[in-house]
Amino acid sequence: MKNRALYLIFAAVLVLPFAITNVNFQHVMIMFLIFASLGESWNIITGFAGQTSFGHAAFFGIGAYTSTVLFYKFGVSPWVGMLLGAGIAAVISVIVSYPCFRLRGHYFAIATLAVAEIIKQLFVSWDYVEGATGISIPVVEDSFIAMQFHGSKIPYFLIGFALFFLIVMVARSIEKSKMGFYLKAIRESHEAAEALGINPRKYKLLAMMISSALTALLGTLYAQYILYIDPFMVFSLEISMKIVLLSVLGGLGNIYGPIIGAAILIPLSEYTRVFLGGTGKGIDLMIYGALIVLIACFEPRGIIGLLKKRGKKRGALYAKTNA
Amino acid sequence: MLLQVLLTGVLIGSVYSLVAVGLTLVWGLMDIINFAHGEFLMISMYTTFWLYALLKFDPLVSLPIAVGVVALVGVLTYKLVVKRVANAPGLMALLATFGLSLFIRNLAQFLWSPNYRFVSESLLTDKRFIIGDLIIGLPQLVAAVGSFAMTLIIALLIKKTKTGRAIQATAQSKDIAELMGVNTERIYAITFAISGACVGVAGALLANTFPVYPESGAMYGLLAFVIVALGGFGNIWGAFYAGILIGLAETLGGFYLGTQFKYAIAFLIYLLVLQFRPKGLFGW
Amino acid sequence: MKRVMLLLLLAVFLVSTVMAGEVPVIKIGAIFPLTGPAAATGYKLKYAVEVAQEIINGTYPEIGLELAQAAGLPNLGGAKVEFVFADHQANPEIAMSEAERLIRNEGVVALIGCYHSSATKPASQIAEKYGIPFVAGSSSSAALTERNLKWFTRIAPHDGMETVFFFDYLNYLNEKFDAGIHRIAVVYVDNEYGVHAAQMVKEKIKNYEEYGFKLVADVKYPTSATNVDIEVQKIKAAKPDAIFHASYIGDMTMFVKKYKEFNVVPKAVLSYCGGYQDPQFVINLGKDADYFSGPAATTPALFEKMPILAKINDIYKVKAEVDIDGPTLEDFASAMVIAEAINLAGSTDPEKILSVLKDHEFAAPYFVSGKIKFGPDGQNIYSASVMTQILDGVYEAVWPETYQTKEPVPYFPAWKDR
Repeated sequence: MKNRALYLIFAAVLVLPFAITNVNFQHVMIMFLIFASLGESWNIITGFAGQTSFGHAAFFGIGAYTSTVLFYKFGVSPWVGMLLGAGIAAVISVIVSYPCFRLRGHYFAIATLAVAEIIKQLFVSWDYVEGATGISIPVVEDSFIAMQFHGSKIPYFLIGFALFFLIVMVARSIEKSKMGFYLKAIRESHEAAEALGINPRKYKLLAMMISSALTALLGTLYAQYILYIDPFMVFSLEISMKIVLLSVLGGLGNIYGPIIGAAILIPLSEYTRVFLGGTGKGIDLMIYGALIVLIACFEPRGIIGLLKKRGKKRGALYAKTNA
Repeated sequence: MLLQVLLTGVLIGSVYSLVAVGLTLVWGLMDIINFAHGEFLMISMYTTFWLYALLKFDPLVSLPIAVGVVALVGVLTYKLVVKRVANAPGLMALLATFGLSLFIRNLAQFLWSPNYRFVSESLLTDKRFIIGDLIIGLPQLVAAVGSFAMTLIIALLIKKTKTGRAIQATAQSKDIAELMGVNTERIYAITFAISGACVGVAGALLANTFPVYPESGAMYGLLAFVIVALGGFGNIWGAFYAGILIGLAETLGGFYLGTQFKYAIAFLIYLLVLQFRPKGLFGW
Repeated sequence: MKRVMLLLLLAVFLVSTVMAGEVPVIKIGAIFPLTGPAAATGYKLKYAVEVAQEIINGTYPEIGLELAQAAGLPNLGGAKVEFVFADHQANPEIAMSEAERLIRNEGVVALIGCYHSSATKPASQIAEKYGIPFVAGSSSSAALTERNLKWFTRIAPHDGMETVFFFDYLNYLNEKFDAGIHRIAVVYVDNEYGVHAAQMVKEKIKNYEEYGFKLVADVKYPTSATNVDIEVQKIKAAKPDAIFHASYIGDMTMFVKKYKEFNVVPKAVLSYCGGYQDPQFVINLGKDADYFSGPAATTPALFEKMPILAKINDIYKVKAEVDIDGPTLEDFASAMVIAEAINLAGSTDPEKILSVLKDHEFAAPYFVSGKIKFGPDGQNIYSASVMTQILDGVYEAVWPETYQTKEPVPYFPAWKDR
């Protein structure tokens, strides 16, 4: 896909919240940016390298907690906390991945889920970070240094957009680089990659470090936006799965997938709840679930698959070779 | 004390096992992650409850009916949903079944309200054996024995019957199985039915002692994923032993290290075991 | 067809919520857990608020409440009140965004909710940000009124007050009936509600050392526990006289059955606002629910003595098919209080409403305390609770003696003797 499409998307995303100033819409945009970025980060380890992670919320939570604890205990600016959080996430990801990378496929995926659940439990029981009670971030005057803005959502949106831009660009440059090529080779076959002289361990670890660090950045933004975090929110399986689902929906392994997936899933869950959630009968979630099923069944290769097919001539032979 | 803890672990673990057996069949055969597996359990529990509430059926009597209902739900899930995503990357089936689990969970709330229901009186309720210091609840014992029995039946079915061998063949290679005349379409449907049946049995047995509500299957589903991986995908006895192991990890860890950690400990056991057996206890 | 699907999806993405137009009614936001694990309570809270709305907007001269006498709010020209409901799904992030949406898009002049303390926190922080009054009915965490917020008020007693209430009640049992209760176990779910309650127990027990109370077990269990076998085994080993529970209905049901199975026979079991107070507790457990206790803002046994409450319950029961209980009454109260405050302020100006909330003593004839008054930290200074005990399937009020409908039983009979 050409540069043009990507820049168009950036431009459109950037302009929208200024065009539509409805507060709820802006909120949806911010959530979209956060989750699309999460999907992009996740894609680096899963889509590119083929190591499915069901536990990315662990890194998201580490990012959120690092900046939050540093701010409310020591007054450290969340920007610093954000970078530190990314660093800690990368370190944790290495500690965790090193033993886990010997596992393949589903076994690895379940291991990541187990790790995330263990980390969640650790934070629930850790009194120093307030455990299950969660942390309410001290409210201060609007401040860039403290990453808190109360009048308008636009500053949060702009920070989210900056992260989004950064992460998409990082993902893109990895995709097009030698490392991206190696990752894809590893994804297709470990053994073949090794035979070609690629060290799978090294590149998987690298991908994991980058992926986790980027994920952690978003945790900080989220914490600063909601101004309250607890382990059940930020380390949740729900978040891990949301990331998986929107990336799969959009199409794995390429940078447009998470963007498209988030563009569909986030507003869908938001608006079904806004319009139908007040009834208390769970109708909104039923419809959300049903729509996900329909979308998945309709286009099992993700929305990207749908768009790709339209772009080329159809033919029985093509359909067979288009893996 | 220790004996009681061990016993509890085995009893709880057996039911986890049965749920996992259902999941491992589908996962091992089709490489499909059925995210709605926990919801199948919940459907079985509700079926049992409503038969009790409306018709005064004892859960044991409802068991075959619950089995039938969930087996049917399994087949429908396959025909309407899984079939369409079977050829896509495995994660797409996850997406579809995730949507399905959301749908079923909230449909249950819509139909039956989120109230916690309970089978207050059944043939098994409140009965127990007391051997010295050891207390063995009858519902739990029946659930464990029932889970073991069902697992045995499934294992024998897979090993000894023609259908079972067809399932094994399809698991090995779909194309070759088809060449050998196996109707793989039917096999997939049957496997989903069996998967549902397992969970149907588990749900009816659990309904004797546990409250029934829309989220009641969620934790069992999550544990089932870990147990299936721990035992080795597609391995029935693997899932069974792994379930017992997780049950024991939960009770021993919970009792000696802190009940709030009981699930974290189970997850930790998974990670530790897989360091030594990267394809699960019995995987290959 | 696929193209149409894609376009439809894009349309979903681009549609924004309809801006609230002219406001012909006075809107108040009500955020509750309408789906998810606490939905069983959430939807009843919604009914309770709907009952309040009906009473306010209609004429019910037989109900002795100020706003029941005329339709709507008299000081605002009979303007009707509309409670706009939102579901927070037990997710603080959603609580926050729903609060903001209700304020910005729906134009609500106040907020009530959220039951879960973890949702009430961010939602009330939003209210603080926008300068909108927030009246929490049943959220129990003491932390909520320790935040120095200007716009936040809360009706239910918090878990610190409740803990003191528990110990005082045990003292009463010991003094009046020679119950001999000294060994205390606290059993709680591992989340904000449970952990904070347990913290309060550990803090307040120090004030009661002279009475000989001792903490002998501290059992914390995960939120979606599939069973409580090990927890009960631990409790049994500690041989407590009294067990304090911070548990939801699902866990509580499992605990009761396990106590029976493992023959755990304490002298008293006191539950914080949670599973015990849910009427489903008695429905599910029948005889086994007897002798359990817990504080409640109300109980059906009191309806006889409190006619206004009985009439409110009549309307509520039609919707909910069960009697009104503590939390639902507390959230009913929050709806009445905010409407009364708006009425007394004679305007929808937030500052005016807030000053009424903070200064006025509200008549609350449906509570045993009879009134509601918010202190400087926003906490209702009158504790609305009575201690109840289930006897013969009825939540009897047992303490303080002035409200007693039956005398408490300070011990549990052997399980097989029920």
